[in-house]
Amino acid sequence: MTRRAAEFPGRFLDRCRAMVPDFEPFIDSMSRPPRRTVRVNTIKANREQVLGWLRNLDPQPLDWWENALALGQPGVGKRLEHFLGLVYVQEAASMVPPLVLGAEPGETVLDLCAAPGSKTTQLAAMMENTGLVVANDYSQARLRGLVGNVDRAGCLNVVITRMDGVALVRNWPGSCDRVLVDAPCTCEGTVRRSARVLDQWSLDAIARFSQLQKGLAVAGYHALKPGGTMVYSTCTLAPEENEEVVDYLARRFPEAELLPVELPGFRMRQPLAEWNGRRFATGVANCRRILPQDNDTEAFFLALIRRPIEAR
Amino acid sequence: MKRADPRVRGLLERFGVPAEALAGLDVVEGQGAFFIGTREVMTFDAVRPLRRGIRFCRVFPRSVKPTTHAMQVLGRHATRNVIDLEREQVVGLINGEQVEVDAPAAVEDGYVLLRVDGFSAGVGLYRRPVLKTQLPRYRPVEE
Repeated sequence: MTRRAAEFPGRFLDRCRAMVPDFEPFIDSMSRPPRRTVRVNTIKANREQVLGWLRNLDPQPLDWWENALALGQPGVGKRLEHFLGLVYVQEAASMVPPLVLGAEPGETVLDLCAAPGSKTTQLAAMMENTGLVVANDYSQARLRGLVGNVDRAGCLNVVITRMDGVALVRNWPGSCDRVLVDAPCTCEGTVRRSARVLDQWSLDAIARFSQLQKGLAVAGYHALKPGGTMVYSTCTLAPEENEEVVDYLARRFPEAELLPVELPGFRMRQPLAEWNGRRFATGVANCRRILPQDNDTEAFFLALIRRPIEAR
Repeated sequence: MKRADPRVRGLLERFGVPAEALAGLDVVEGQGAFFIGTREVMTFDAVRPLRRGIRFCRVFPRSVKPTTHAMQVLGRHATRNVIDLEREQVVGLINGEQVEVDAPAAVEDGYVLLRVDGFSAGVGLYRRPVLKTQLPRYRPVEE
């Protein structure tokens, strides 16, 4: 184990051992700094244009999405193409939830926990700057970043709201073609970026987030039109914040369809079937975990949920 | 819907942005500015939003000032009062410098669209031959 990993909390490491089959490559990847990645902002530019602009940063297209680029050199945030909004600095795994959600031009989309806006601006671009993306967040501090990023990305199809997610959906139920619930979490999966996330780590924090996430997932489901789809995602590993939340949703809404999470060319793992002696609902098996060693990314969890046309 | 507002129309005309460029978009006034966004954005009324679309221009008693972010999107449609710059000139403007430019004779003094390699960077204020930055304060940009 690397020196950096040896400084992770022992209880965290024990839990990782219990949930990750190939622990050594996992913890080795978790100890290394993340790869520098950017997303081409297709509202303003295309991949070829951006590849030309970034040529002295050694850009390498990633094979699972044409607009994802890895950079061999640092400093993109200080460059003209960043000011112009041609690129958005975004961790590669964080590009996956919008791709799995698959927003289309002209649709109505809710991003329930939107700040600082990487997935909001990605959804807006996937929708070709048409339709409506409601980008909500409750945190005043994080909203400033969201506004700035929506502006810089040139998103004309985004409304920004600051509300409790549950209250927002109470005023706007059954309205969305697609919903993204990229829930606040313990951020265990972002430890490659900053080990400081583990300073706040505790089982109590996991339990608190799990409660919050269940409420947000239910709200997200209520926001769907019949036939609409929702992605629930986190950047954490804790099963209480992932499989357990989806299990809760599946039991609360037995009609909800848990669809397979897939992204061609991008390796994802099976979710846990049980945790702490508790077996999860069958459909949870369609969720996926993203582990850092598989695609050189941060860790993520995703579920894809569909509200049936004949929903109650 | 404020697209027909003379101040908005005046700005679009100054940059030669055709009406078709705003197809599917609406402009509304509020908070001392005009905002531009899709029709769905401007008619969303389920809750009170913090922001709709992006700020198109700020409104002053005798004038309006186009914003960088709106012009970065709409600027691709501009056909008048456009100045093409080298990257290092744009970087200088972002970093607060002013530059001297011998723009084509058709470019009038006043707000001009700054373009670099075909991309709109925002607006500057031109008083021949001096071009002053109207770009927002940003982190220092390097080239």
